[in-house]
Amino acid sequence: MDSSVSFSDFDFTNARRVKRVEKFLNTIGLDFPSSIENFVIAKDGNELIACGGLDGKVFKGIAVAPRRRGEGLILSIMTRLINIAYSKGIKDLFIFSTPNNIELFEGCGFKLIENCDNEIMLMENNDNLANYKNILTKERRDGNVIGSIVMNANPFTLGHQYLVEQAAKKSDWLHLFVVKEDLSEFKFKDRFELIKKGVSHISNVTVHEGSDYIISNATFPTYFIKDKGRINELHAKLDLMVFRNHLAPALGITHRFVGTEPYCVVTNNYNKNMKKILEDPDGKSNPIEVVEIQRVEKEGRAISASRVRELLRVKKFDELEKIVPATTMKFLKNM
Amino acid sequence: MNKIKKRAYAGTLESSDAFIEIEPIEEDEIRIELQSSVEEMYGDDIRDLIAKVIKEMDISYISVRVQDKGALDYVIKARLQAAILRANDDKKIKWDKL
Amino acid sequence: MKLRRSMLFVPGSNTSMVCNAFVYRPDTVMFDLEDSVAIEEKDSARLMVYHALQHFTYEDIETAVRVNPLHSIYGLLDLEAVIRAGVDIIRLPKTDTVEDVLQMQEVIEKIEFKIGTDKRTKLLAAIESAQGVVNAVDIARCSDRLMGIALGAEDFVRDLHTQRTKAGSELMVARAQILLAARAAKIHAFDSVFSDVRDKEGFVKEANYIKDLGFDGKSLINPNQISVLHKIFAPSGDDVEWALDVIEASDNAKEKGLGVVSIDGKMVDAPVIARAQWTLELAKASGMLGGDE
Repeated sequence: MDSSVSFSDFDFTNARRVKRVEKFLNTIGLDFPSSIENFVIAKDGNELIACGGLDGKVFKGIAVAPRRRGEGLILSIMTRLINIAYSKGIKDLFIFSTPNNIELFEGCGFKLIENCDNEIMLMENNDNLANYKNILTKERRDGNVIGSIVMNANPFTLGHQYLVEQAAKKSDWLHLFVVKEDLSEFKFKDRFELIKKGVSHISNVTVHEGSDYIISNATFPTYFIKDKGRINELHAKLDLMVFRNHLAPALGITHRFVGTEPYCVVTNNYNKNMKKILEDPDGKSNPIEVVEIQRVEKEGRAISASRVRELLRVKKFDELEKIVPATTMKFLKNM
Repeated sequence: MNKIKKRAYAGTLESSDAFIEIEPIEEDEIRIELQSSVEEMYGDDIRDLIAKVIKEMDISYISVRVQDKGALDYVIKARLQAAILRANDDKKIKWDKL
Repeated sequence: MKLRRSMLFVPGSNTSMVCNAFVYRPDTVMFDLEDSVAIEEKDSARLMVYHALQHFTYEDIETAVRVNPLHSIYGLLDLEAVIRAGVDIIRLPKTDTVEDVLQMQEVIEKIEFKIGTDKRTKLLAAIESAQGVVNAVDIARCSDRLMGIALGAEDFVRDLHTQRTKAGSELMVARAQILLAARAAKIHAFDSVFSDVRDKEGFVKEANYIKDLGFDGKSLINPNQISVLHKIFAPSGDDVEWALDVIEASDNAKEKGLGVVSIDGKMVDAPVIARAQWTLELAKASGMLGGDE
């Protein structure tokens, strides 16, 4: 009812206003999510009192100045954000936020997916997770050791292939998830095909398309900028909690396999976190054993997808041949 | 009975208002999903109202999703009609049906 | 005699205000479909106002709607909706010339005829430009539907190459002209909104000032300003006493079949009696005679 509050929206090209939002979030102790495309702000006079942003299909950076809470500003911000998303044709939406306003967001039609120790939470405005779990349930296999691997494989190397072979050997059945988000050099479609071809000789593996619920821009936004050494531990935790509490139970997963990363601090930390969260005996779902598999080396160097991309850039196909399977090689040559 | 042409929405999530989304469906039915701050007292009344407004506009084959924030009847009516007119890109408004 | 001290501005896109404005008992509720409503919400706000106008909460309160200009794609749609819904007054946006009023009047007449209503929708012209102020005298008397003219200060000061100040000197000429034009045409004169909702003192000062100038009332954007404004417009105890005496004398004269009304040996003519009636209306509305407030 306060007519002195005005709302406006703008996109990331509006540097001055974006800067103001960043400053506002920092003053109330929140991180500025760097990848926001569209912003909505509320101002009283010239003072910024609330904001929110849209990054792909994820609302983030939703905040209200402490002394303006309880006025319903979040509802106005949410209305405008939803309008922006809908007008861009984005219908299935997530909220990535601190868990202070779960009830308010529920009143906006969102359902809680996971609340991570009251530090961070993820919600969605549809039944997609339930539907996805139903689809996964149909892929359930019997066995004592039901293994899982999540990989981006950008692109699929002999290292990936070795990891899958080892994991399959140790499992009665292995579920392999391919990160679906198209934020890598190689498109999902290609990554997925190369993996399928590269593991076709293994009989006890199902290759699954990833989803918004497994290393995606919704569950784990900083994964895709890990090269910059900036995996956010909270994000990693949220992603692993969704995996443990929702996806793993649907498939009866008992183990998760990861490659060791002798040189990469970021991945090492991530693996350590994974152990802590998936193996925690006090979780609300069954613990999952994390198994690290020693990375395969070639001529004293670990095989990595980034090495493949590097060799590809300088067109050293003879070198490439030594570290990718024939199926991947064929694809790279035809690029 | 008429179908709506496309997905549409109207309203806000603010107090006293309603946010209404509608979608065409394949089945000849009026599917209503209501989330209301006054569900216990008025939930059924609101559902009845929604069905009535839709029928008055000669629409069928529709799925309606409503976030109600304690809106008066006429607010729900206005938002729903706005959504339906948007869905059909209706420029010629039949006021006697509204 | 209709009191129009307060005209509460209600954005058609602000649902909670649309639903609750009547609670504050302004003399007139003015729903806005023009500047306060974003382009993509024009259709939805129009429907909201269409239904609100027909709701029982607005049955015994005067309603006005500021429609979009006729040259926009929304103007005609707005009129179709709100005239059907039985609005009392159409507030013309930005009236510069007599033609603006006549054109609006013609469209309204057509719609009234089409839907077969007996109601004659009244008009209120908002003067928001130098040209409008210059033409105010002609505008004020160009249509018998016109119940008043109002100053729209924000656009006016821009047109005048100045800005609003606390002292209000930038509006001096426009206020005087609009007031004179309205009085000469025997219609109402309304002052502009006071936009700084936090400056209570400034509002009281301005409200007193325009009342003393002779304005009938003021447009408001904050419902909390209504009771303040009504208090300012309330007559003094002496005024009420005087008015009661005048009306008593007038009633007595009528009873006795006398053509002339006099108090204390002085003759009282019709405008004075009208003024006394007006004062009593105000007193009643201000709760001084057991009225409704």
